[in-house]
Amino acid sequence: MNHALIILGIGLVAGPLLGGLAGGLDRIVTARLQARTGPPVWQPYYDVIKLMAKELVVVNGWQAFCVYSYLFASMLALILFVMQSDLLLILFTQALGAVFLAMGALASTSPYSQVGAHRELLQILTYEPLLFLVGVGIFLETGSFKISVVMQWKDPLILKLPLLFAALGYVMIIKLRKSPFDLAASHHAHQELVRGVFTDFSGPLLGMIEIGHWYDTVLILGICSLFWATGPVPMAALAAAAYATIILIDNAAARLNWRWMLGHVWAMGLALALVNLICRHQG
Amino acid sequence: MVALIITFILLLPVAAAAGCLIVRRDNLGNGVILITGLALAAAALMMVSIAPAGLTAAELGGRTFEGVILAADMGLLIIFLYYGRRYKSRAVLFLSTAQMLLLGGVEWLRPPWVPFDAMVFQADGLARVMLLIINLVGPLICCHAIAYMRNHERHLKLEKSAQPRFFFVMLVFLGAMNGLVLSNQLHHLYFFFELTTLCSFLLIGHDKTPTAVDHAVRALWVNSIGGTAFALALVLIRVSKDTLDLQRLLTQGHSPADLLLPALALLCLAALVKSAQFPFQRWLLGAMVAPTPVSALLHASTMVKVGIYLMLRLAPMIQGTFLSRCTAVYGGFVFLAAAALAVGQSNGKKVLAYSTISNLGLIFACVGLNTPPALTAAVYLLLFHAVTKALLFLCVGTIEQHIHSRDIEDMRGLYAVMPATALMTVAGVLMMIMPPFGVLLGKWMAMESAATDIPVIMLVVAGSALTVMYWARWAGLLMSEPVVVPFRPERMPMSTWAALSVLCAGGAGLSAAAPWLYDLLVSAVIAPGSLLPVYTVHWGIMESAAGRFAVFPLSLLAVSGCLVSVLAFRHANRGRAVSPYLCGEQTAEPCVFNGPMDQPVKAGAKNYYLTSIFGEERLTVWLNSAAAVLLILLLGGTL
Repeated sequence: MNHALIILGIGLVAGPLLGGLAGGLDRIVTARLQARTGPPVWQPYYDVIKLMAKELVVVNGWQAFCVYSYLFASMLALILFVMQSDLLLILFTQALGAVFLAMGALASTSPYSQVGAHRELLQILTYEPLLFLVGVGIFLETGSFKISVVMQWKDPLILKLPLLFAALGYVMIIKLRKSPFDLAASHHAHQELVRGVFTDFSGPLLGMIEIGHWYDTVLILGICSLFWATGPVPMAALAAAAYATIILIDNAAARLNWRWMLGHVWAMGLALALVNLICRHQG
Repeated sequence: MVALIITFILLLPVAAAAGCLIVRRDNLGNGVILITGLALAAAALMMVSIAPAGLTAAELGGRTFEGVILAADMGLLIIFLYYGRRYKSRAVLFLSTAQMLLLGGVEWLRPPWVPFDAMVFQADGLARVMLLIINLVGPLICCHAIAYMRNHERHLKLEKSAQPRFFFVMLVFLGAMNGLVLSNQLHHLYFFFELTTLCSFLLIGHDKTPTAVDHAVRALWVNSIGGTAFALALVLIRVSKDTLDLQRLLTQGHSPADLLLPALALLCLAALVKSAQFPFQRWLLGAMVAPTPVSALLHASTMVKVGIYLMLRLAPMIQGTFLSRCTAVYGGFVFLAAAALAVGQSNGKKVLAYSTISNLGLIFACVGLNTPPALTAAVYLLLFHAVTKALLFLCVGTIEQHIHSRDIEDMRGLYAVMPATALMTVAGVLMMIMPPFGVLLGKWMAMESAATDIPVIMLVVAGSALTVMYWARWAGLLMSEPVVVPFRPERMPMSTWAALSVLCAGGAGLSAAAPWLYDLLVSAVIAPGSLLPVYTVHWGIMESAAGRFAVFPLSLLAVSGCLVSVLAFRHANRGRAVSPYLCGEQTAEPCVFNGPMDQPVKAGAKNYYLTSIFGEERLTVWLNSAAAVLLILLLGGTL
């Protein structure tokens, strides 16, 4: 029982702690790449604390419903991951969160919010097949969808599934809202879509979305680290390397439109996944 | 006891149907329908609680029963010919004549022979699942139809009510479905198969408008293709085997020399036509002109499931064959193709129709994979899809009668107009795509069992992503502003309320109880008496060799999460009201901003339907051709 509570605690704390730190490091690295100093590493926490202290203002009460559900689903997905549960179930649960966020944005009639929500749905459409294929690939290698079994696997999966790992890279860029695929919530609010899917969220609700995003970040980095699950050090190293690469791509790339995203990621990502799966399992 | 219940469940709907024709008074007729529904539901539940058993030929009077079925068969085909002549449809005339000749051929060459100890009606595991769906969901839909049809006729301003006829056909249909799932002799099954085709034809054309008649005739001739394939299969089986008994065929199996495998392929074709799989989907899309309860009963929860039922019956016989493998890929393809077309639709009923075809495709894929986990997935999907889709259809029907449109775009902000129905629709949508609900549980099982088959899993993951897209945007816009607080449910007739809320609560409750359904119902369907169950259930957690889904704990968590979110909703509504963001230029009117020259401009955004990619005109031809190629492969591979 105690053991279960400890795991639950780890799951609940890991999200804000690691996710927030990752966000802070991201801002520093990005600033340095742009020859700026950047904010302190704790800045994401300051931001969220400030948002939480603001007045609760909504266009539509359903936004609050959707944001709470989003945060709940994101937390649940990470907890399931820490509990080493079923990989596909975790993916379904995180999809639940993503869908609630889009539904919350659809609840406002502002065109910015609406267009943002539809782009968000397109992003989900783009990355979901790849994410599930990653799960399938891991299953085909290890014979189980349970993360507890995957963690006991002796060989690094990345050596067997390199192309699938590359496909996961696409998913991570989209899921972490990085260029060239930050379509739904353009990072800088002065662009064509204002803040897209986040436009009509404010104050505490926006703060909660931010916290949900921390959980998502940790989850996706966790899935990434499963590709070298021989011990905590290689797992952390792989996740850090992947995150650094994504920050680099974010700073080097310009935003693309949805046609390009859907076409390119489906064609390239699905092809990479297919080739890898066929090579390993029907050769 | 069993004999009594089977007779009851078969004859009661027919008797009640006759009652509806005779009783012309509204209240009395409604009473007949409601009591019949309750009695059917009770009988189906009783059937589940007693040991599996059946009725033998001796108990049914042997040869006389055969004679009755044959006469009824011919009678049906004569009715088809009559309608074919009346509506000048050469296809119907040709296909019905062909069926007559084929049946006559069987009678003349080798008449079906049913020994006295052979089972005629049998209630085994699969039949019980189907009986539950038919007799629990069916009466609820009939109950909803009472108020719906009253409104419908008021709207059409009919002089003479056609309701007795409508309910007559609906109830006969329920009887036909019960007969179909209980039949153990293939030629009896064929009769009930054709009877459901006739009911579908009559109900689609119920309104007698030119479009309705046109689409009804289309449904008739397309389904006649299935009927002809079925009749041809009967001939082939009869030529190569000495029996049409399903149980015996299952134990005998097939040898390379006989014609059983081509016959099975033909039965598979009949199943695909009945389930409106590509390229036969047009009849189901046309069938959406029918009153919505018809769409809910025939074209979502029961009749289109006949194809699945038939394939599940035949699954042990095709295990390991090319036919089975091909069905898996074909099903996966239809899952993806229909989901893609659904993305491009803004017509609510069409979205539902495509989604039905798509889900049926997924179930066919599971049946084609033909492993115990995949078949378990198929049964779960079958069960939960029936309940959820019935709910969604009835919701759309209720909405349509209120706002006089079935377009998704017109349902924006529906929560302010009809909060209860909007909420139940959203609940239905969430039940289609989200954990821990039953449909998703089925999809999870399907994915885990399809994971070893790379082509199928590729199709399934892509189709699944498209599915999320078209459902999520629909649910989102139902909750769009304005929001009216406090929550005050709209006025609805009692029967509408009852049907919708029972389906909604039942769907959610059954989802939470899904692990226990496994031991109770589902495991008996998959290879009864097999050694090891696929899933073990403990504390409401379903665990297989490869995965684990904590259904019940997650359901509890979902309930608590939902409660917290509802509190947040109520709290947020008490806050200061603001208008949606319009760059700070909004006027006092909602959704209007100060444009150039200080002129008011209305702001608006519609859904992305991406018709340049997912449009019907653009995609249908290609998808149909691809499906046709797969189908030819499927049929040709058995020769």
